[in-house]
Amino acid sequence: MISRRSFLALGGVIATVPSWATVIPNNSKSKLYASAYSLSKQEHFFGVFDDEGEILWSAPLSQRAHAPIIHPSQSIIGIVARRPGFFIDFFDVSSHQKIQRIEPTQDHHFYGHALFTSDGKRLITQENHYPTGQGKIFIREWPSGNILNIFNSNGIGPHESVFLSDKVLVIANGGLMTRPDEDREILNLDTMQPNVTYLSLENGKVLNHASHEDELHQLSIRHLDVNQQGVVALGFQYQGEIWDQVPLVALSRIDNPVMEYLPIPENVRMRFKQYCGSVCFDKSGEVLAISTPRGGLVAYWHIASKTFLGIENCRDVCGLAATNNSHEFLLTSGTGVQMKNNPIQDVTKMIKKHPGIHWDNHFQQINT
Amino acid sequence: MKYFPKLIALAISASAPLLASAGQWEGPLNGIVNNVINQGYESYAISSKTLQQRTDELCTTPSRQSLHSAQEAFKENVLDWQQVQWLNFGPVTYFMRYYAFEYWPDKKGVTQRQLRALTQGDPSVMDAPRFWTSASIAVRGLTAIESLLYHPDFEPLNSANHCQLLTRVTKHHLESADAVANQWKEGKAEDWVFDEEGTGFDPEKVALEQFLQQWIEHMSAVKDAKLETPIGYNSRENLKLAEFYRSDLSLQAMQKNLTSYREIYHAGSPSLYDIAKQSNPALATQFEQQLIENVKLALQLPIDFFHTSKSKEDRIALATPLVKSISNSQSYLSSLVTSLGFQIGFNSRDGD
Repeated sequence: MISRRSFLALGGVIATVPSWATVIPNNSKSKLYASAYSLSKQEHFFGVFDDEGEILWSAPLSQRAHAPIIHPSQSIIGIVARRPGFFIDFFDVSSHQKIQRIEPTQDHHFYGHALFTSDGKRLITQENHYPTGQGKIFIREWPSGNILNIFNSNGIGPHESVFLSDKVLVIANGGLMTRPDEDREILNLDTMQPNVTYLSLENGKVLNHASHEDELHQLSIRHLDVNQQGVVALGFQYQGEIWDQVPLVALSRIDNPVMEYLPIPENVRMRFKQYCGSVCFDKSGEVLAISTPRGGLVAYWHIASKTFLGIENCRDVCGLAATNNSHEFLLTSGTGVQMKNNPIQDVTKMIKKHPGIHWDNHFQQINT
Repeated sequence: MKYFPKLIALAISASAPLLASAGQWEGPLNGIVNNVINQGYESYAISSKTLQQRTDELCTTPSRQSLHSAQEAFKENVLDWQQVQWLNFGPVTYFMRYYAFEYWPDKKGVTQRQLRALTQGDPSVMDAPRFWTSASIAVRGLTAIESLLYHPDFEPLNSANHCQLLTRVTKHHLESADAVANQWKEGKAEDWVFDEEGTGFDPEKVALEQFLQQWIEHMSAVKDAKLETPIGYNSRENLKLAEFYRSDLSLQAMQKNLTSYREIYHAGSPSLYDIAKQSNPALATQFEQQLIENVKLALQLPIDFFHTSKSKEDRIALATPLVKSISNSQSYLSSLVTSLGFQIGFNSRDGD
């Protein structure tokens, strides 16, 4: 917790951060995106790029990061450290200055993802209480960072969460028990039980949850997204054998205790190498995209009909974001590629290739 | 956007290479394909044929001698497999052939369970045209053949059922090995990479990049899964997790892998070594010397290294120099690949 004096000073700094509308003119046609990237194993950054792939500004990071979080009104972007993460750094995009660092409380670490509430007054993080392995949801006041509530995530390893509404959080409890002093070694491979949980943000009550059948208990639920109809898409990372034929993508709803696995042609499923990266709906919520950096492709489904649409090849691709156009996605890759792809119109457009830049796992559009 | 049928067409088309190119990576790529992969699979197909013939003879005239002869053919075939095992790319990825050639580690004894089930059923079902395309990978290759030749539950000398199963598995195994060898002869590596629209895609470089990634991953597997895990280098010892432990091939398999690495490095004109020597001579030499050191250290391990007669402590003491040497090789290879301009696995090896 920060002192009153520090809080007042910090409050003053953050109160002066302009809105997105001030930083990005309303008549601007270009959308902005935020992403972490690396130049080498030692050189890590965080930057904002536009629709043309041009990096408008960047800031150095002390370690490799994982996913950005964007304040809904003020021009503030946070970047969450890679698991096991011990910081979230926040930047004022208008002044290019780092304005705040939030660290987990004792015996906790972040999982690489976090999110702001729609009014921008709360910061929500998924955390590991590593002495027990219990997953936690922390609700902090923004910008002070004061902890308002701590809920159990209803599982182990809550990697990413999304809002179903202002009052309901959907959590991907990956099921993997790890400790920061043992890097990422999985300590509960034989007993892991991942689930997707719908949690009330008012009282921490579990409203619904869904798990796999026992034989799929090593199917870690890691990333997720939700569309306008309340359909939650889930991407898995299987911890069992590489040759096992397991589902890798599913849909879930708050009123259904069972996940519905989506079909994938076997030769494409094999290319996933049991690993989904990012999960993303397009602007309309009709099309789902799942990236797999290990397979070097993005796969698409039409959600209403649960039809597999096809794939786009892109080596080391992981970052996915919906653009302002229905059915269109922006893709980023560890090889420096940024491309747009519309799987319905079958249109692919290479935006830019940045030689030497490795775009990190996840990026986000800045909605102004 | 590549729709599914288009993807298949792209993947299986040997007659329509993506791009005819004579770029800078032609030397090492073609060298590895011709000298390591093609020759490796040719040898593997030949020893698979010998294995199939020996198992046929075993079942026709069962005797200690014919069993021994089949076991020797099996050993030769396993060592040929080790030469090409590093590459899970191209024709071997079809019909799960890579995992069928070697279903390992079989931690739950799936192979024995499924083989027992097959011996209890009607053997003629295995002659149906589509049987092997849908059969479990656990019963399709070397792991199954090793069980049938060495596991006490199976008696090819005394049981016609067991022997018939053995000949059927070796026949299918030969067909798979032959198919991979022929597909490599008829096609080229660039046929097996996936085009990326509008990215200035160079199939030659991407194919070589895939080779290098596979090599890096295999080096990890040799150090971790083949050496450290069974001897309990970082945890509990379990010698039954060693590769082909029933046929006592665990050590020889590793030695063969480490030998094949130098062949990859030196294949072609120019080879990866030649190119690295031009751009980063110190690193090129360090890596070369480390590869030689790996082979020497592996050959210094006693033939009973994986046997139960040794204590865990003795085994770890013996293995430590090799573990460190392979670990150094991993670092050098990783640096070399980066210095040559390949971008391997920033996200795909992150695992989160």
